[in-house]
Amino acid sequence: MKRRVAVVMLALMVVAAGVIVMLPGTSYKAQDREAIMSGATAHHWVGTDDVGRDRGVRVAAAVLLGLGGAAAAAAITTAIAAAVGAAAAFSAPGVASVLMLASDLFLSLPWLFLLMMVRSFLPLTTSPLHSAVVTFSILAALGWPACARAVYRGTLNLRSSEWMIQGRASGLRNTQLMRRHVLPHLLPLLIPQFLICVPAFIVAEANLGTLGLGIAEPLPSWGAMLLELDNSASLALSHWVYLPVVVLVMVLLLLESLTAEV
Amino acid sequence: MNVRFGVRQVTALVSVIFGLVGACQMPSKGPGELAWAMRYDPKTFDPAKVDEQASEEVRFLTDGVLIRVNRRTQQPEPELAASWNVSRDGRMISFRLRQGLRFSDGSALTSRDVAWSLRRVLDPATAAPVADEFLAPQEVKVEAPDALTVKVHLPKRVIGIENVFDEIAIEPAERPSEGKVTSGPFTVVDYKRGQYVRLARNANYWRRDAAGVQLPYLTGIRLDVLNNREREISLFERGEYDLIDSLPPDYFGLLQKKNPRAVLDLGPSLNTEEMWFNQAPGAPLPDYEKAWFRNRAFRVAVSQAIHRADLARIAYDGHATPAYGFVSPANRAWHNDGLRFPHEDVAAAAQLLAGAGFHKSGSSLVDAGGHAVKFSILTNAGNAARLKIATLIQQDLAAIGMQVTVVALDFPALIDRLMHKQDYEACLLGLSNVEPDPNTQMNMWISSSPNHQWDPSEKTPATPWEAQIDKLMQEQGTALLQKNRKLAFDQVQQIVADEQPFIYLVYPNTLYALSPSLVGVEPSIFQPGLIWNIANVRRQGTK
Repeated sequence: MKRRVAVVMLALMVVAAGVIVMLPGTSYKAQDREAIMSGATAHHWVGTDDVGRDRGVRVAAAVLLGLGGAAAAAAITTAIAAAVGAAAAFSAPGVASVLMLASDLFLSLPWLFLLMMVRSFLPLTTSPLHSAVVTFSILAALGWPACARAVYRGTLNLRSSEWMIQGRASGLRNTQLMRRHVLPHLLPLLIPQFLICVPAFIVAEANLGTLGLGIAEPLPSWGAMLLELDNSASLALSHWVYLPVVVLVMVLLLLESLTAEV
Repeated sequence: MNVRFGVRQVTALVSVIFGLVGACQMPSKGPGELAWAMRYDPKTFDPAKVDEQASEEVRFLTDGVLIRVNRRTQQPEPELAASWNVSRDGRMISFRLRQGLRFSDGSALTSRDVAWSLRRVLDPATAAPVADEFLAPQEVKVEAPDALTVKVHLPKRVIGIENVFDEIAIEPAERPSEGKVTSGPFTVVDYKRGQYVRLARNANYWRRDAAGVQLPYLTGIRLDVLNNREREISLFERGEYDLIDSLPPDYFGLLQKKNPRAVLDLGPSLNTEEMWFNQAPGAPLPDYEKAWFRNRAFRVAVSQAIHRADLARIAYDGHATPAYGFVSPANRAWHNDGLRFPHEDVAAAAQLLAGAGFHKSGSSLVDAGGHAVKFSILTNAGNAARLKIATLIQQDLAAIGMQVTVVALDFPALIDRLMHKQDYEACLLGLSNVEPDPNTQMNMWISSSPNHQWDPSEKTPATPWEAQIDKLMQEQGTALLQKNRKLAFDQVQQIVADEQPFIYLVYPNTLYALSPSLVGVEPSIFQPGLIWNIANVRRQGTK
């Protein structure tokens, strides 16, 4: 029940964000220079930021970008985890050890420094959209190892089950066994993994944004918007400065409640 | 027992905890002591080796000098030297010391100490940054014919030589003490790396006030090492700090609302914010981009498309002045009042670009070769006003079809790209001008200089106008008459306004926060603007 409510609320949030972003005459980057850090007005329902950009449109765009990017990255990372874990389980013990060693190596990587390094290698003219794609791609590339270990263990158990032995005896190849039998049985493991990754990646992107390593301006990102809270002068000018953090917490709570129910 | 916590109680509890933690970390402020923050640790306490702001601040507070430049009038005034005289040919300056001078440890200060301090600064082994101001320091001769006279012989005339002595601390001969034994108003008594520098009053300081009271009035100064503006503002509001040098513009309004007497806006500073394009021939950029950046019409069009009034109003909350040249109007002696510059005009910018072979393709501007005009503006992370400027310029240039990406890098990475790799397209930074004299900007304008930012270390001037700047800068540096220097420097300003190698944006105002309980402060736009006459500063109600 709780899960349904959460799904409905998230869906409503996404639809509302989509409508706000698509409204004619709105833009997340247009600067209204006569309305700097304004409060709620007829033109800007939840005020503007420090260069006069509509805060509502920017928060809505951040919801879409954050959720969309995090969901895509979570899907990729879950797919990589499933592929690596299952491949290790169906491989010779030596290959399995190498694959698990590789996942341990990934787990031990200082990912923040890796991200900084990757970002510093990007051309300076990387467009904001590309910076968003790169940010979420890196998160996807770094998020799979823990899940891969769980998939490996789960697949090993499945592999020795009676129905798998029967499948093998029936002449099914490993790829067929994986596609028809193992993957459906791994779904209860993969879906929670996916749902855990989505909020984790949203938070990771926000953290990177506060360090200036996330999505480039003028695309709105949680991190860049949360940075406004670091300035007591901004806080004194408008209470709407708190809107991004309120919406972010709502999104995270709804995503967490989805995970809790699985 | 039923205990309920509301939001107020929780907030109060958190404040008390943070307050206690803060109080434990910070040494208490003694009576008659002032406190403020410096951004980072001083690199050195050796007054001869000072080359950054924190060390300079400590030197200013502790060390005695022969001549002090009055930051209000910009005139040199006698300090340890009772008088001085520059010879007619400008190649000899002689000082007559005050009688009865003493160091903070009670030992006598004589011409021997002065000569030793000057020779130490001039010695190449000391690597004193101020030595360069003597032009040929190794050829300078210092003599002390008697206990109160010092003569300095220069190989050639140095314009404004008196002002150089404002930066040379007089230390006890053969006993350099890194600020512990000084002839200035304070001495260094305690330093904890990353925490604070504590200074105590020099009881042997020579100066007395009109009533005969020995200066300084203050018993000491605590300089906290603190690179957190939020905390600095909060400590100022709580009265823990007495002043804030270079107050960020967004906090000005906040403090003004709470106490209008605690903030000062002295108007335009000598500093500038500017952007420039990379014109270095060896830069790792495509040839067509280099061609844009070397094209005068392109640079002028960019300049015309930028709404500087918006930059001043939005990025600086109104505490800045639109800039069109590199000399601030605050520098009254050297500002070119008749400067002609390209005015803001988006239509004229578009026309200029069309004349240079650029045209619009949809909403994008493309060059004659069909390349879309897109480039990045590099700036340093952590400067909120500068990032806002970059974001505003991004939209201004979009109006003429240029696609701009703003990239904020940490300072070391930024300097690496600018100075070593020259791997950038455009850069937005500020320049802090401490001295009003054009000679201090020589290294920026001479084409062979590594600090000639748009094309560093040119072997020969790349363009006729750069050659002309070289010539005029040399002229102003050697002219005997002030009016000839001004004439040459006016022409340099005009060439820069015409060619726009730097596109000047704003002159940030000088903003200070100052405790209303302080008496005797004479704020100035020249550094160190609030403490230059520290010996005369006292807290209200104290003697």
